[in-house]
Amino acid sequence: MGDLIQFIMTGLTIGSIYEIVALGFVTIYSVTKIINLAQGEFVMLGGMLMITFVGMGIPFVIAFILTLIMVTIIGWVLEFAVFRRVKDADPISLIILTIGIAILIRGLASIGWGKGSFRLESFTAHAPLKIFNATINIQSIWVMCIMLAVVIFLYIMMEKTILGKAFRGTSDNPVAARLMGISSVKMATLAFMLSGGLGALAGVAIAPIMFPSYDLGIMLGIKGFSAAIFGGLGSAPGAVIGGLVIGLVESLGGGYISSGLKDAITFSFVLLLLLIRPSGILGEKSVGKGGL
Amino acid sequence: MAVQRKGVKKLNWIGFIIFLLIVLILPWLGLNSFLMTQATFAGIYAIIAVGLGMLMGYAGQISLGQAAFYGVGAYTTAVVSKTFGLSPWIGLIFAILLPALVAFIVGHTMARLSGYYLAMATLAFGIIVSVLIVEWRSVTSGASGFYGIPTIQLFGTMIKQGLPYYYFVWFFTVITVLISLNIVHSRIGRALRSIHDSEIAANSMGVNTGKYKMQIFIFSAMLAGLAGWLFAHMSYSISPGSFGLDASILFLTMVVLGGATSVWGALIGTILITAINIFVHFLGNNVSFITSDFEHVMNGLILVLVIMFMPKGLFPSLVNVFRKKTPHLVKESTT
Repeated sequence: MGDLIQFIMTGLTIGSIYEIVALGFVTIYSVTKIINLAQGEFVMLGGMLMITFVGMGIPFVIAFILTLIMVTIIGWVLEFAVFRRVKDADPISLIILTIGIAILIRGLASIGWGKGSFRLESFTAHAPLKIFNATINIQSIWVMCIMLAVVIFLYIMMEKTILGKAFRGTSDNPVAARLMGISSVKMATLAFMLSGGLGALAGVAIAPIMFPSYDLGIMLGIKGFSAAIFGGLGSAPGAVIGGLVIGLVESLGGGYISSGLKDAITFSFVLLLLLIRPSGILGEKSVGKGGL
Repeated sequence: MAVQRKGVKKLNWIGFIIFLLIVLILPWLGLNSFLMTQATFAGIYAIIAVGLGMLMGYAGQISLGQAAFYGVGAYTTAVVSKTFGLSPWIGLIFAILLPALVAFIVGHTMARLSGYYLAMATLAFGIIVSVLIVEWRSVTSGASGFYGIPTIQLFGTMIKQGLPYYYFVWFFTVITVLISLNIVHSRIGRALRSIHDSEIAANSMGVNTGKYKMQIFIFSAMLAGLAGWLFAHMSYSISPGSFGLDASILFLTMVVLGGATSVWGALIGTILITAINIFVHFLGNNVSFITSDFEHVMNGLILVLVIMFMPKGLFPSLVNVFRKKTPHLVKESTT
């Protein structure tokens, strides 16, 4: 019983992170039909920048805000300098492009920060909780709270504000949205900045648990991509479910079968699902040039 | 039409002879052992890149897990020749057939996927294979690597690393290029090009697109397996690190840089990336802040710049320039 609770809590924690990353994928995809495989690098940058700022003696909250702003700007730069100029590219070229950006950022990070891994103190110092012999890290609860906050924030923003309406309009029908005076370029910029911010948030949240290093992003990016694909590209509820399910599969598979095989188990699961439902559990919401 | 096709073939033959001469002469230009090893590796990678290029440029598919087939080929021959003590030549048969079988199974299961979903599936496949190579310790010796792979014997002499192995590898590379050029100019090649332009149109003209895509996928896996065989017997040992995601991305970079719509493009891309990495290596020896990480930065930058400014790759762009200057020579693009 203790084991099971432990694995489920671990699964929900990493699942929350995958889910935030997947929401970043979905945000960009729904407006631009681009799958940004550099999404994981936003997470890595978030964690590393936060640790660097805190190491410089900057107070926690200010360091946090600075990190968010910096990674958001990086998202904006990517949209402005790269993606705005390749509008007509096909999905294969776009994937290759974002892989290029990912290894570029990763290479620069390994030059700047070295190959070691770093650690951030937990948000709050508190002894781990004990439930049925399972040890639950306080930071895990923080991660899950942040995940919930992100979901609520995105929901309110997308459903209750004019900005969200414009965003959804561009996603559903870019031409009609443009006729209504919504700039699709501005929406694309917003999407990249938003997902940069989401990535940074995820990076800061897991920094105390996962000990970030320069190569943290690649696996997180791929798992977040799996989660987005699992739920059906373009579907935000799908990304939430996908992230949690993939986190749980990874942690239960790692715990009960073999910890070395956990990535193989997770991806076999994703493959199996793709074979049964080639466009994810909730189906692709907006079929664009990236779809089938 | 007939005249134009002849022109294309003639240009291809001229290109092929120049290529052959460069391959033959290169080792005599005073290469040290490091450069010799790199030149040999370029031959191995070229075999994979040509296969991947045909998959991407002609069949319009993407594979982010091509290194998996490379790894399956390498570990298959390692097991056959070391664990079972059989001849490396028997290893060659298995190193080509097993990746083909894997590609057959994987290809059939992934046949319904395309676009981003296919990219995800091939990515997942590559990661699963690289995890299995690390974890299946009883067969692969795990993360520490597989040691004691015998060298290949040809007519009673050992083919050792260095000049003999360079020629041995490039012999296979040349054969690969010849076979690939032949496929491209055959019925299959025309069918594949029609898939790349418009799969629906090709289908309605009675081209069985699924069959051709599958054939080219299996062909590319066999080539990667062959490259794995060459790699395993070149080095005394192999380790899982050579067959991971980084390797898949490296092959992708080579194809994208050279241009996927041409056999020559993949070859040129491989040679350029190898040259760039050698250059970075030498810079690293002389300039303190440049390390091997710089390779990643360079490769990433190349991918971004090529897709942004030269989406068809280097070789097709050069051909276009050439065609504009000498319109009487070729009308159809060289392949």
